[in-house]
Amino acid sequence: MTIDSRVVRAFEAALAPEDVISDPVRCRAYECDGLTGYRVAPELVLLPRDAEQVAAAVRVCHEHGVPFVARGAGTGLSGGAVPVADGVVISLARLKRVLEVDPVDRRAIVEPGVTNLEITAAAAPHGLYYAPDPSSQQVCTIGGNVAENSGGAHCLKYGFTTNHVLSCEVVLPDGSLVTLGSDTGEQAGPDLRGLFLGSEGTLGITTKVTVRLLRTPETVRTLLADFPSVAAAGDVVSDIVAAGIVPAAVEMMDTLAIEAAEEAVHAGYTVGVPAALVVELDGPAEECDEQFEQVKQICDRHGCTRLHIAGSPEERAAIWRGRKAAFAAVGRISPDYFVQDGVVPRTRLAEVLDRIAAMGEAAGLRVANVFHAGDGNLHPLVLYNAAAGETERAEKLSGEIAELCVELGGSLSGEHGIGADKACSMPKMFGVDDLEVMRRVRSAWDPRGLCNPGKVLPTPRLCGERPGKYRPHPLEEAGVIERL
Amino acid sequence: MSQGNATAAPLRPTDLRSLRDAVLDTAGTVGIAGAGTAAGWAGRLAPVDAVLDTTGLAGVITHNPADMTVAVRAGTRLRDLQDELAPHGQHVAFDAARVTDGATVGGLIATADAGPAALVHGSLRDLVIGVTFVLADGTVARSGGHVIKNVAGYDLAKLLHGSYGTLGVLAEVVLRLHPRPERTATLVIPCSLEEAAAHTATALGGPHEPTAIEWTSDGVLLVRIEGTAGALDARLERLRAALGAGEVADADPWERHAELVRGEPDLATLRIGVRPSRLPGVLADLPTRTVTAGLGTGVATVTLPPDAVAAAHARVHAAGGVSVLRSRPEGATAPAWGPPPSALPVLRAVKAELDPQGRFGPGRFDPWM
Repeated sequence: MTIDSRVVRAFEAALAPEDVISDPVRCRAYECDGLTGYRVAPELVLLPRDAEQVAAAVRVCHEHGVPFVARGAGTGLSGGAVPVADGVVISLARLKRVLEVDPVDRRAIVEPGVTNLEITAAAAPHGLYYAPDPSSQQVCTIGGNVAENSGGAHCLKYGFTTNHVLSCEVVLPDGSLVTLGSDTGEQAGPDLRGLFLGSEGTLGITTKVTVRLLRTPETVRTLLADFPSVAAAGDVVSDIVAAGIVPAAVEMMDTLAIEAAEEAVHAGYTVGVPAALVVELDGPAEECDEQFEQVKQICDRHGCTRLHIAGSPEERAAIWRGRKAAFAAVGRISPDYFVQDGVVPRTRLAEVLDRIAAMGEAAGLRVANVFHAGDGNLHPLVLYNAAAGETERAEKLSGEIAELCVELGGSLSGEHGIGADKACSMPKMFGVDDLEVMRRVRSAWDPRGLCNPGKVLPTPRLCGERPGKYRPHPLEEAGVIERL
Repeated sequence: MSQGNATAAPLRPTDLRSLRDAVLDTAGTVGIAGAGTAAGWAGRLAPVDAVLDTTGLAGVITHNPADMTVAVRAGTRLRDLQDELAPHGQHVAFDAARVTDGATVGGLIATADAGPAALVHGSLRDLVIGVTFVLADGTVARSGGHVIKNVAGYDLAKLLHGSYGTLGVLAEVVLRLHPRPERTATLVIPCSLEEAAAHTATALGGPHEPTAIEWTSDGVLLVRIEGTAGALDARLERLRAALGAGEVADADPWERHAELVRGEPDLATLRIGVRPSRLPGVLADLPTRTVTAGLGTGVATVTLPPDAVAAAHARVHAAGGVSVLRSRPEGATAPAWGPPPSALPVLRAVKAELDPQGRFGPGRFDPWM
C-alpha cells in the first residue's frame, strides 16, 4: 500500500470505513474495464453513496495528491476506467437513483450510476424515452455515457449523449461541486457542459445528470435486406442520403459478422450473404410510410436478394437482437477478438473495408465487420487465437485499423473513446499544437493532474517522444500493467 | 459598429495564415468583429487596441453532400452558405433571426444564438463537428474533425460556443448538414400566452413532431411542420384537428417573428432560457413590450425598458434560468448578465490558460470576469 494510512483514514472519515476497500482481492474486481487485456490494481476502491461523499473523496485526493479514476459499470472499451497505479478508484455504482421524471418539460434527473436503459424504462409510462442507445445500454451507466459522449445505433438521426444532456452537476478535481449547463439549450457563457461531455473522466466526476426525453415516435418501420456485396449495400445508403431521408438507424454487417450472430441468436439472418443492412425509419405515420416505400425501392434498385420487413414488434426485436449480438457472438467463431472503433467519411466505407480485408489477409487474421453505415462508424472485430500466440499480431492490426481511419479523413473513435488504448495514436489525428491546447484546457480544470491521468492525451512517459508505428502498449512497456 | 476606439484601421485577414499573423503582429487588446449584427450583445466591448474583422475569411472550403458535412471559413455569412448548399438539397438546420441580416458562422457560434428550430435541431453547438481557431498567443489549433461521429479528444468547439470572442478567433468550422425539407407549413393560431402553452402541450404530446412552436406578443402561436411533400397535408390536418384551431399561413409568418427578435433601438432586448413550464410565469412578471417565446424550448426573446433589465435577470435567475442582454438603447446602461454560473472558477481558469494577458474581447463578460 503506497497510500499513507493518514490518507486512508481521511477517506474513511469522508465516506465510512466499510465503503473504503483496501482488500487486494476485492480491489481486483476494479482493475480493468471492458478492455480486459489492460489491468492495473488500484490501491483503494471508494464506494460513495451520494454527491457530497464523492466531493469529499475528491477533496481528500486533491489535498494529498492521490490520483483517482471514476468508474461506472466498467463496460468501456478503451481502458478509460483502468485504474492508475498508486491511485484510487471512485465507483459511482451506489449513486443509482432516478431522482425525477418530468413528462411536462420532458426531462429526467438521474444519478450517474443509473443505467442508460433504466432512464428509458422510467420514462416509458409517459410515452417518452431517452434516445442515445449504446448496445451496452442494459448495463452501462449514464455517468459513463456522459464521459464518453456515447452514441448507439440511433444517433445518426437523434444525436449523441451531448445532444441530450441539458446539465450536469460535477465534482471538479479540487473537490468543489458545480453545475454545468442550464435548464434549456440556451447558455450563458462558453459551453463548459459541452466540453465536459466526452472528456472521458479527465475533467471531473458527474454526480447528477439532467437529460432530455423524447416522445416515442408514432411509427417505426424496420427492414433487414441482403445484398450481393458490401459496395451494393453502401450504394443503398448513399441513395437514401441523396433522397433526403434520415433513417433512425442504418446498420451493416458482413458475412463473418452475420454468421456469428446467426449462430448465436438465430434471429433470421441469411448465413453466407456478403452484406446485410438493417434500416429503420421512425416518425409520424404518413411520413414514415412514404419514406419506407422509397427505401424499399432503393434496395430493389441495388440488387437486394432478400427483403424482410418486420411485421410486428417481435420481428423488429429479432432483427435488432441479431445486430446487437454480433460483438459477443464472434466469440463462437473465434477464441478471442478485439472490438475496434473508428470512423471514416461514409463515402469511404467500401474503400476502408477493402483495405481492412487486405490488412487482415496480410496479418493472417480474420476481421468481421459491423458498422453504423449511416455515419461511417466502423466496428471491425479482429479475430485471433491467443493460445496460438496471435495476440500481438491482432493488437497491431487493430491499432493500424484505427489509424487507417484517420488516414482516410475520419476519426480514431466514434463511440468507445480514446481512453488508455488510443492515447498514443492521438498524434496521428491531431497536431502538436492541437494536443498542446487540449492539454492546456485540461490543466485549467485539473492543475494537479490527478483526475484520470494518462488517459486521452499522450504523455512522454507512456508514449515516448515520437510515437511512430505500433509498438507494445506503453502501459505494458512501462511495466505498469501486466498482459493476461 | 461600436467596437471601442481602436487606434488603427481594422485588421482584415483573408486566410488562416494572415489571421494568425494579424494576431501575432498586433500588440495589446483585440476586439473580434464579424458582420456586426450582434456587436452590442453581452457585455460592452471595452476600448481595444485593434479590431480583427473576420469577414474576409469567407467561403466554402469543402462540401461533401454524400457525407452531409461542409467545411467553411468562419467569416462566411450563413445565408450565403445556405444559398450554396440549397441546390444540393441540404442546409444547416439553424434559423436564428439575424441569419437573414448577414451574420457570420463564427459570430453565430460565438454568441450561442439559436432560432425556433432549436426545438428539434438544437443550436450550433449541436451542429458544429470541427473547428480551427487561433489563440491570443497565435497558436493555431483544431478539434473535432470532418465526420459527424467523433469522440476523439476534447470538443473545444463547445468552449468557443458562447465565448463572445474572448477565448479565441474562429477561423474554420465544419458543420453537419441536414436534408432541406421538401415542404414547410406553419399553422397560425390567434391566442393568449396561456392558451398557447396548452396548445403546445397538445402539439408535443401527439405524433405531430413540429419543428418550431413559438408564441409572439402579436397574440399568435406559430406551429411549423416540415417534411415530405406527400405527408405534409395529412400531418397538418391531424395537428389542426388536435388543436381545434389554426389556419395555414399564406405569407411567411416567421419574417415578423424575426422582426420581433431583432428588437427596437429605444428598448433593451433580453434573451431568456428557463424550463418551458416556467416560461409563461416569468414572462408575466416582466414589463415586456414585445415577446417571442419558444414554448417547447423555454427560450424567449423580449424587449423591455433598459431600467427593467436588472430585475429581469434576477427574476429569470430565481426561476433557475439564464439570461443575456442582446441590445441596449444608445446611451443607456443595463447589466449584460445575471448572476455568474457556479462554474465561474473554471471559466476563469480556462480564460487564464488560453488568454493569460486578457487580449481578446475585454468587457464581454463584465462583471463576471
